[in-house]
Amino acid sequence: MIDQSAARALHPLEVKILLAYRTGDTFDSTQVREKLGFREGQEQQAFSWLSSKGLLEEVSRQTEVFYELTALGQEWLEKGTPVRRIFSLVKETGALSLPDIANALAFDQKTVGSAFGSLSKEGVCVMDETRRVILAKPELPQPLVELESLLALAGASGGSLPEASLSPPQRALMGQIAKKRGAQDAPFRVAERAKVVYRMLPLADDYRDAVRALGMTGEELGAITPEMLEKGSWKLGSFRPYNVQVPPARVIPGRRNPYVEFLDSVKDKLVSLGFEEFEGNMVETEFWNSDALFMPQFHSARDIHDVYYIEEPTHAKFIEEPYLSRVAAAHENGGNTGSRGWQYHFDRDFTRRLILRSQGTVLSARQLPKAKVPGKYFGIVRCFRYDRVDATHLSDFYQTEGIVLGKDVNLRTLLGFLEMFAIEVAGAKEVKYVPGYFPFTEPSIEVHIKHPVLGWFELGGSGIFRPEVTRSLGIDVPVLAWGIGIDRMALMALGLNDLRELFSPDLESVRTRRSQYKIQ
Amino acid sequence: MPKIEVNEQFFFQLAGASWSDIEKFEHDLTVAKAELDEWNTSLPADDQRTIKIELNDTNRPDLWTTAGLARQLRIYRTRIIPSYPFFASRTKSKETRYRVVVEKSVKQVRPWLAGFVARGSAISDALLRDMIQTQEKLAWNFGRKRKGVSIGIYRTSLIEWPVRYFGTDPDTTSFVPLQETRAMTLNQILAEHPKGIEYASILKGEPIHPLLTDSKGRVLSYPPIINSADLGAVQVGDNEVFIEVTGSDYPSVALSASIMACDLADLGFEIVNVRVDYEYDTPFGNSVVFPYYFQEEISASLEDTNKLLGSALEMPEALDALTRMGLCAYSTDGRAISVAPPEYRNDFLHPADIMEDVMIGAGLANFAPQRPADFTIGRLTPIERFSRKAKSIMVGLGYQEMIYNYLGSGKDYAEKMRVPASDLVKISNPMTENYEFVRNSPLPGLMQTEGVSAKASYPHRTFEVGKVALKDSQANYGIVTRQYLGFLTSHAQADYNEIASHVATLMYLLGREYRVRESSDGRFIPGRQVEILVKDARVGVFGELRPEVLEAFGVAMPCAAGELDLESLLDD
Repeated sequence: MIDQSAARALHPLEVKILLAYRTGDTFDSTQVREKLGFREGQEQQAFSWLSSKGLLEEVSRQTEVFYELTALGQEWLEKGTPVRRIFSLVKETGALSLPDIANALAFDQKTVGSAFGSLSKEGVCVMDETRRVILAKPELPQPLVELESLLALAGASGGSLPEASLSPPQRALMGQIAKKRGAQDAPFRVAERAKVVYRMLPLADDYRDAVRALGMTGEELGAITPEMLEKGSWKLGSFRPYNVQVPPARVIPGRRNPYVEFLDSVKDKLVSLGFEEFEGNMVETEFWNSDALFMPQFHSARDIHDVYYIEEPTHAKFIEEPYLSRVAAAHENGGNTGSRGWQYHFDRDFTRRLILRSQGTVLSARQLPKAKVPGKYFGIVRCFRYDRVDATHLSDFYQTEGIVLGKDVNLRTLLGFLEMFAIEVAGAKEVKYVPGYFPFTEPSIEVHIKHPVLGWFELGGSGIFRPEVTRSLGIDVPVLAWGIGIDRMALMALGLNDLRELFSPDLESVRTRRSQYKIQ
Repeated sequence: MPKIEVNEQFFFQLAGASWSDIEKFEHDLTVAKAELDEWNTSLPADDQRTIKIELNDTNRPDLWTTAGLARQLRIYRTRIIPSYPFFASRTKSKETRYRVVVEKSVKQVRPWLAGFVARGSAISDALLRDMIQTQEKLAWNFGRKRKGVSIGIYRTSLIEWPVRYFGTDPDTTSFVPLQETRAMTLNQILAEHPKGIEYASILKGEPIHPLLTDSKGRVLSYPPIINSADLGAVQVGDNEVFIEVTGSDYPSVALSASIMACDLADLGFEIVNVRVDYEYDTPFGNSVVFPYYFQEEISASLEDTNKLLGSALEMPEALDALTRMGLCAYSTDGRAISVAPPEYRNDFLHPADIMEDVMIGAGLANFAPQRPADFTIGRLTPIERFSRKAKSIMVGLGYQEMIYNYLGSGKDYAEKMRVPASDLVKISNPMTENYEFVRNSPLPGLMQTEGVSAKASYPHRTFEVGKVALKDSQANYGIVTRQYLGFLTSHAQADYNEIASHVATLMYLLGREYRVRESSDGRFIPGRQVEILVKDARVGVFGELRPEVLEAFGVAMPCAAGELDLESLLDD
């Protein structure tokens, strides 16, 4: 037995053939069409499906010649052949010139010429002294009449005549007028078709039983059409089940980029935690990029931020006051920040030097003068580093940074935030904190998390901004500053292991990329 | 961040403890903000096994040495602060027979010098390598590639005292440098010797160069470039060395000498003072005996400390925490914590620096995370919200969102796009020409995609929302950052009409009235391109990309594209 789903998947054409024949029966296209009323071609489809299932086998195959009506032949059949129409016209109206005939019958020059040629060759028509056509015989001769009967015969048998059905004279005539190629000028086209005889195989019994058991008739409805709905004809039948196991065709949708979506999800998460987003210029000054963050202009701390310099223009026109003076003082002797400063001469020219922002913290510094207290701010911003580009380094990449201002924020609230990021953003199960070092925070904390997949790794750095940073920018409350690295999570979420892939220009790989991240 | 390699046996001996568990070792290193980088414990534990450690605190060069790092771990565990009685200070002078004279002539070029003599047992191979590592780390990282600090080590026995440090003419002065057999002038050394070439920039343009000789005029070294082959080579087995530090930054010079002296003292060497007589004034006086304790006491209030740390530490607990960090801390009134920084540290700029040491000393694990209590309202920037709206419309129109790097080559951004390179922001110190310009449009990225994606089924419809950098002479920086939307459609029938329909839909759904005007942008086919105008201001452009552009990117499919300045569409 075969299971019912295989039977259910049969096409109505297959069902009809199965039900119409028994095992061992033989049949060909014509027989099946006649018996089952299939349109031409339908039986071929059914044969091929049934054969592929092993229900039919080919018994014999021979080539047959057919004569098919062309569009021209169809026209002749409907309106009469040009010869017949000229003959009738002249018989009715008397002598006419060739142009008059062409006008009256809406023939072109060529058609009139060649039809008159045939008539005059058979001696039916002649030209009188005024070059007008007159009849010389009362009837059309046999060959021209024979053509008309062939057209009629073809018309009666669906436009196609098997060669075998023609008498020898008909065959001879057909040989003259039918063309194999370039048949648009001829009334018949020669077509060769294989006549294949099939036999139904024993396996068909199983299917037939199943089909009967399911009550299938092959008369089930196919696609629902508007017409069917309008007329209500669907009520008369049942719907043919489709083969639902056929793989669907591929569709290419418009869609978001999975990496950008990942970044957006982190943004949304931070917003949900009460953070307001900030943005800024890609081109920045040494002042905001480093000086405002109390990184001394001479110090090796700047080794870790090797930057790209802008060729033109080289310097900003000015640095906003009072921040320039306050920052300069903080560097030189601490100014009003309670610090002794770095004890060197602050270079006010160098501080205007234009660079590509090398760290997101620059935006935290820029936010301070306009920040609210209490306030929470963040940004996911593109930064630029003087790095050789490889699987783990990019020359431009995103950093996720933020600040928290509050009268009572402290180290323990900082740890509280880090814990929140670890759990909420990174999905960490375990968190640990170790002392870190950043030039602009004191104390500084690194947060390490145990990720379910990645294991222990450093999620980010943080700290409390040094008073040299905050006081110079007009803030008198503690400011927690943090940065979290989300690239590794992004790679994992997208199933990648090379940072360069995040910015891949390859359309196919972006189209097919899926993300597996889940934000809590 | 400096990375050091320590001999395991040597390090454990100095730390007064040994570790076998990697996790425990990593944990203990955190008090020094140090990270284990490499420790192959599967090798046999002989005296050759080494540990690689990365040091994160760039303000604590004392931790970048084997002895210094071991000292911090040792004190943290034992609470025993070592004393270094050989230090001179403002109030404590020291007699010594070793003397260096610093002459006026060197003041302009490299004014500061500190030094001392270390005497002890024969220097082993491991110790010599360790001393060289210390010398390099201090000079390279702390000394900013020898500009601020460079260090020389010599065999004392070869030197006739006093030593002279002075400025000299680089063309007429010559000596035989290390790794050479012939005498070379100073300028020759800068031009031909590998070390000279490496550090020449420090002395570039200086008419007078620094030189260190003994009293007989024999050259010790040419700071900060190279030692002499005669007096400047130290070997395994030497038991008395002269160490000098020169540089442009006095506290760094003095601190480097202090760090090396403390390290050698920890190793059992006797430290002998060197008196440096300057022919000019210095913040520490004219005649300074090194190693010299120049640091000043600093104090922080316990209340501020507890407020910053969110803690409720009592004074004894705070003082104990600082002791574990190696600080001599005390309080006279029970409210203020006073700290005399150790000889080898100079990183206390602000009371906050003490507070951090309290935190580390007390153990970070003892500070429980606390949920923040302040209520604030989170929100995205207006441009982000607006961009998201535009993105969802583009997706609805069948476009795939892309994201690209913002740095690229002049070839991709200018040449292929038929845009003048002068329109683009150029980097003056690019690492390679592949990342030399900041983009001024998202279109080169979208075209790159077409260039590499001919095999992806068509139609291709792509877009990106991202930043571009535009020159603007009115702006303070001369350059502004804008948020752009770039979009491109590519297939056999891609044309102006299609992209025009998409722009119309986008603008309708964004709720922005616009009109178009013929434009002459070199990237698009003339007569098949327009500017998008909103309230008469140009906010974008679209049209059919020129075949020249397609050809340049290796694209054999028609492309229509456009770009829109989303920021200019934001409500005021």
